[in-house]
Amino acid sequence: MNRLPLHGVRIADFTWIGAGSFTTKLLADHGADVIKIASRGRMDSLRSSRPYKDGISGINRSGYFADRNSSKRSIALNLKTDAGKELARRLIATSDVVANNFTPGTMEKFGLGYEAVRQIRKDIIYIAMSMQGAAGPEHKYLGYGLTMGALTGLQFLTGLPDREPAGTGTNFSDHIPNPCHAAFAILAALRHRRRTGEGQYIDVAQTEPTIALLGPTMADCSANNRIGERSGNERSPRAPHGVFRCLGEDRWIAISAWEDETWAALCTVLGDPPFARAPELASADGRWARRHEIEQGIAAITCHWDAEDLMSALQRAGVPAGLVRTAADIVDEDPQLRHRGHWVTLLHPEMGESIYNAPPFRIDGAPAIPSAPAPLLGQHTQEVLTEILGLSLSEVEALRREDVLT
Amino acid sequence: MHDASVDAGAGAASTPWSSFAPGAVPSALAGIRVLDLSGLAGQYCGKQFADLGAEVILVEPVTGSPVRHDGPFLDDRVHIEYSLQFAYFNAGKRGIAIDLDRPEGQRILRQMAKGADLIIETEKPGTMSKRGLDHATLSASNPGLVMTSVTPFGQTGPYAQYEAEDLVALALGGLLYLGGYPDTSPIAAYGNQAYLAAAQFASVASMMALLSMDDGPERVGRHVDVSIQECVTMGLETAIQYYDLEKTVRKRASGQQIMAGVGVFECADGQIYLMAGGIASTRFWENLVRWLMDEGVEAAQRLLEPAWESHDYLAKPEAKAIFGELFAPFARKHKKTYLYQTGQSRRIPICPVNTPRDILTSRQLDYRGFFVAQDHTPSGRKLVVPGAPYRLDATPWRQTRPAPRLGEHTSEILAALGYGPAARAALLKSGVVN
Repeated sequence: MNRLPLHGVRIADFTWIGAGSFTTKLLADHGADVIKIASRGRMDSLRSSRPYKDGISGINRSGYFADRNSSKRSIALNLKTDAGKELARRLIATSDVVANNFTPGTMEKFGLGYEAVRQIRKDIIYIAMSMQGAAGPEHKYLGYGLTMGALTGLQFLTGLPDREPAGTGTNFSDHIPNPCHAAFAILAALRHRRRTGEGQYIDVAQTEPTIALLGPTMADCSANNRIGERSGNERSPRAPHGVFRCLGEDRWIAISAWEDETWAALCTVLGDPPFARAPELASADGRWARRHEIEQGIAAITCHWDAEDLMSALQRAGVPAGLVRTAADIVDEDPQLRHRGHWVTLLHPEMGESIYNAPPFRIDGAPAIPSAPAPLLGQHTQEVLTEILGLSLSEVEALRREDVLT
Repeated sequence: MHDASVDAGAGAASTPWSSFAPGAVPSALAGIRVLDLSGLAGQYCGKQFADLGAEVILVEPVTGSPVRHDGPFLDDRVHIEYSLQFAYFNAGKRGIAIDLDRPEGQRILRQMAKGADLIIETEKPGTMSKRGLDHATLSASNPGLVMTSVTPFGQTGPYAQYEAEDLVALALGGLLYLGGYPDTSPIAAYGNQAYLAAAQFASVASMMALLSMDDGPERVGRHVDVSIQECVTMGLETAIQYYDLEKTVRKRASGQQIMAGVGVFECADGQIYLMAGGIASTRFWENLVRWLMDEGVEAAQRLLEPAWESHDYLAKPEAKAIFGELFAPFARKHKKTYLYQTGQSRRIPICPVNTPRDILTSRQLDYRGFFVAQDHTPSGRKLVVPGAPYRLDATPWRQTRPAPRLGEHTSEILAALGYGPAARAALLKSGVVN
């Protein structure tokens, strides 16, 4: 019997855009019945975000939306209507978890705040993932993934010291820290409910998980009075540690060879270059002191190497090294991700075949992969209303005529 | 989670686990027993369990966890008890130091594993098996045991034996290529984000494995295989889909406006991030223009012309230049806090590019009581560190104890396993434990 870990858990999913949708994807891919509730009038803006299949826009064609919404069902409910609100309440009554990542106050406007939902189902697990938390002087401030990177310090700390703060080039908090923390909190709450029958309210401020990951830097600032500085790819006291140009257009390799053994192995693979023979470079301290010189010396050699060949040669010698893979490399060339079956191709009714991330871990005996492509907006409205809420087809038709199911 | 049959396997007389008296405030993970054998790619996972109430024992090598050798250090004192990295990621855990390469050390771990629900480890694939400490062996005497193994590339496959550090995993996972400026090399995310991504996914995966064990009648413990590289690929945003759907390869693009009105701008005391042209641009664009005009930037009027409603136009160098000429001089005159609070009061997505000090003094985080004081036993000082990253109202995040000193609980854990004073002294003397 190899049921998926979250088989039998239902989530009434009001999340949208980034972090919320990625949280419920993690749960959906592991067997939870995630029912995404949206309407054409208040659509997930990711549905109208690039990239689109073949570059042609359409609310069911966005790859950004698709990857974050695998294995979910979608119902279209107009929450501005009383009948829409009533259907949402009935769906919540059958659910274990209610999730949203709106600005505080939005769910309350629909009559679906925590207190109201608890009246519907006392043991509900209710997670709210607003930008800065449920209360406080800035809790209603606007924010997105990019502004969040700036608020959390990750933008300031990433990049070159003499250049504008670079950040990760992505809405990093949306993709890893917030979904992982929120999913962990939901799972912990599910365990508590199984043991005690008690549900609860979970407040995740989308700034806080990323700041939590920067704990050592925060402690360095508070205790040592040091503001972290951008340092490019340097990581004191490690040298060499950097990214070096290789043959070809925009090809690079990351190398970390700061330990005595890996440094010696690196020098051997690079052909024992004269610059590396200076006696001061025999110690880690000496290498750190002369890191700029070392890194220039390395770069002058790597630029004649094919990155893949150099990675293989360095890895054979035990040196941590990896070529800087582009998105194309990752999909087409990486033998390790292929071995793990990371990319899953699913057939979407409008987009055709496209690829999705499988979860980045394998639970032995219960491996999970996305079971279905992202839903079309409202794809499962009739199915959910008839199968879960027991409505008749004629009742569904009547609701459609009244613009409740749009 | 521990029913009588499972506890019986551990044996009440030989358990290293303390028995928690139920407190007034329940913990979500109370009763879950974790052995954390990990390094930097796993210790945050152990911390997440500890902070929600699991009992976590950090098992270190006798010379100390490698994380103890990683800075920053308190007072810049390079010492195994002064690593802030170690102190933060191991708060809430007790600690024992065991040489797992020696048979006596392996025997101790096998005894501890009998009473554990979860083991977190970050050894190279094959190492735990050579020690006789792999999941198959340990679960023979504890069938419900979950073991989560975090490695750079996973347990099997062509790269399974490859060496990697954070930077290498970021490179092969694709995030590195997206970071940095167009005219420089790719630049890695700050702060060991590959390792930490793996630790976070390890927490999610471990909880799923523990929960599904709760659910099933047969209580089969699982082995969980986490790949750091694969965890990094979860953070590529739209890069994979751009390639898959539009055959476009996304590149690094920092140091410039993404489109007119979106990007970093210098201000009087640092930088701010403005996002007035993004996903929902038209909603905020007019607010921004009115603000500029009210502040005396009358030429901003032209930003209301129809051309500025088009995303294609906003992406053009001409549009970025015109916008920059209007907005940059205004931003440079003001401080981060003014721009943030005034802009937000006008419903414009703008925020400071916070330094760590800005974050420590944020009025919002202060209101939420986000930062907490954590004892640092070796120095007798208190560290100010991040507190709850999530608020579970019935089972709150909590602080229990500071990170263990090296070997702090070795003796009490061995005693609880049934080792008498003479046996403990012999193990210490021979260097099997510390």
